[in-house]
Amino acid sequence: MSDSVPASAPTPVTVLLVEDDEVIRRSVAMALERYGYRVLVAADGLTGLELFREGRHDLLLLDVMLPGLDGIGLCRRVRETSTDPILMMSARGDSLDVVSGLEAGADDYVVKPVDTAVLVARIRSLLRRAAFAPPAAGPAGPPEPDGPLVFGDLSLDPAALEVRRGGERIALAPTELRLLLEFVAHPGIVLDRQTLLREVWDYGWDGDTRVVDLCVQRLRKKVGAERVETVRGFGYKWKR
Amino acid sequence: MSGGRRGAVAGLVPHPRSLRWKIVLLVALACASMALTVGVLVHESVLRRSLNEGGARATASLEKALEEAAAAGEEGPLASPGELPDPLLRQIEHGGEATFYENGPPAPVFWAARREGGKLYAVEVDMTADLLTRQALDRHMWKYSLLTLGVVVPATALASELPARRLRRVARTARRITAGDLDARTGPVRGGDEVAEISAVVDSMADSLQRRIDTEQRFTADVAHELRTPLMGLVTSAELLPEGEVTDLVQGRVRVLRDLVEDLLEISRLDAGAERSRPGPVDLAGLVRDAVRRTGLAARVSGQDAAVVETDPRRLDRIVSNLVVNAHRHGAGPVEVVVAGRTVTVRDHGPGFPPDLLAHGPQRFRTGTAERGRGHGLGLTIASGQAKVIGAALDFANAPDGGAVATLRLPEDGTPADA
Repeated sequence: MSDSVPASAPTPVTVLLVEDDEVIRRSVAMALERYGYRVLVAADGLTGLELFREGRHDLLLLDVMLPGLDGIGLCRRVRETSTDPILMMSARGDSLDVVSGLEAGADDYVVKPVDTAVLVARIRSLLRRAAFAPPAAGPAGPPEPDGPLVFGDLSLDPAALEVRRGGERIALAPTELRLLLEFVAHPGIVLDRQTLLREVWDYGWDGDTRVVDLCVQRLRKKVGAERVETVRGFGYKWKR
Repeated sequence: MSGGRRGAVAGLVPHPRSLRWKIVLLVALACASMALTVGVLVHESVLRRSLNEGGARATASLEKALEEAAAAGEEGPLASPGELPDPLLRQIEHGGEATFYENGPPAPVFWAARREGGKLYAVEVDMTADLLTRQALDRHMWKYSLLTLGVVVPATALASELPARRLRRVARTARRITAGDLDARTGPVRGGDEVAEISAVVDSMADSLQRRIDTEQRFTADVAHELRTPLMGLVTSAELLPEGEVTDLVQGRVRVLRDLVEDLLEISRLDAGAERSRPGPVDLAGLVRDAVRRTGLAARVSGQDAAVVETDPRRLDRIVSNLVVNAHRHGAGPVEVVVAGRTVTVRDHGPGFPPDLLAHGPQRFRTGTAERGRGHGLGLTIASGQAKVIGAALDFANAPDGGAVATLRLPEDGTPADA
């Protein structure tokens, strides 16, 4: 688990934290710094957007309720141009917050108050997805052929992690890409939500299956709704 | 789903006590009694007219016979008293002249008799054709009455299907609302009858229920935000404190505060009706074992033919762990958890549940022990509330040989809230 966060690496992972509550902002920043992260902070959505545009971050940690541009709006603006990993923090924890955050393109969410250890675990899992190494990069080489996988008008190059639809390249957020790879690795097989939560989000038993449902929805919009079939009561299936 | 199937079947063969049967029965009864009344009246009046005419014909026939006899200088139609029916004779005794209807055998006849100059004259007129006409009329009345009933009753059954169906739709909406689907509405209804009225009333009831729940849910979410925001700062800051005795104290209290806030928020969400079951197939034995293991408390889990149930795993986990934690806090070991079929039983060997809890169910902030032990007495309240959300029954009892027994029974086929 710790291999993905190189505490002694030359360039530490930078987290852009957008949070309006001063105590949370400062204490979370300090706590994350103790874990070896660099933290950029913003107290409102517009400042957060400016810092995002400077592009010095690896991951965004957004509070939902922010003055001015709120976390959900900020998330949506970020997703217009970027596939950077986004983790939302909600204090309300109700469906509205969680669902709108995930619909806006967040990869995962945590409900406040959250232990730093849990927060760091979520950040690490998300960074692993974002830094997902193409299998071809390994010296052992992939067992499968190098050619792109083709599903109708959709083609996926597992080496370059490039997804094209109708010849046009489509941008997938880290979680969406990871979910797509999970699906194409098991074509025609029903994957239940718990399995997907474990494999893609690294959740144990306590994951929220809505995260899966909403990410599948986002993925469908990008790769074509007919590709991912819902198997009622069980989960999802990739159409061969 | 099952409601829809019931409705479809009911559309063909209504429930024996359905409104439709009652309407059909009433209409049939009304038609039958009207037909019977009219039939009896017609029968009677035709009979009376026929008798009048028969009498007149018999009298005229007698007159004619006597006149013809007188004109021809012959004797009239003489009759001996033995030939005539007794009632006719008796009438003649009184008035000297009488008519009498004798309904066979061998054939129906009308007698006319007169005593004149000590002689008894009588004629009889055959009434067979008349009788046959009346019988034919009766048969016709029967036939057309039954035919009308045969048309009217099915037509009523069909016509009464419409209001019955509209009422069933209202009932279905109300059932869905009861089951937790607050978006269920009957929708706009045509006409201004009572069915339209009750549809509108049920819809507006659902609207106001929805509004109230929305308000409460919004309030709960706002309270959650207001409480959790400072708590998050507190939790993260407390983690940053240097190690030491004071830090342990602070972190311990922060943990208690955090658990308390989460429990209270959970209860208020349950109260506000904001919680919805999100069911999936769950291996009951496996889930219970995991839930007990995650509490970190000692409990013996045993199971026999445990089922795979359709339920919300997170809520079930919450219920089981709360019951086990409660058994340890307020009861005494060994704690036994038994999974059998769709039932989970958590039993301890302590003093048992207090009588107050057995009588009224779990109450907030009542731990049962005078010294209030540890915890806030919210665990069982939450377990009960969550059980209700997944449609399960949670019962509290004391074992005859001491110890508290909490029994969770999961419903047969998922929760009704599964829309």
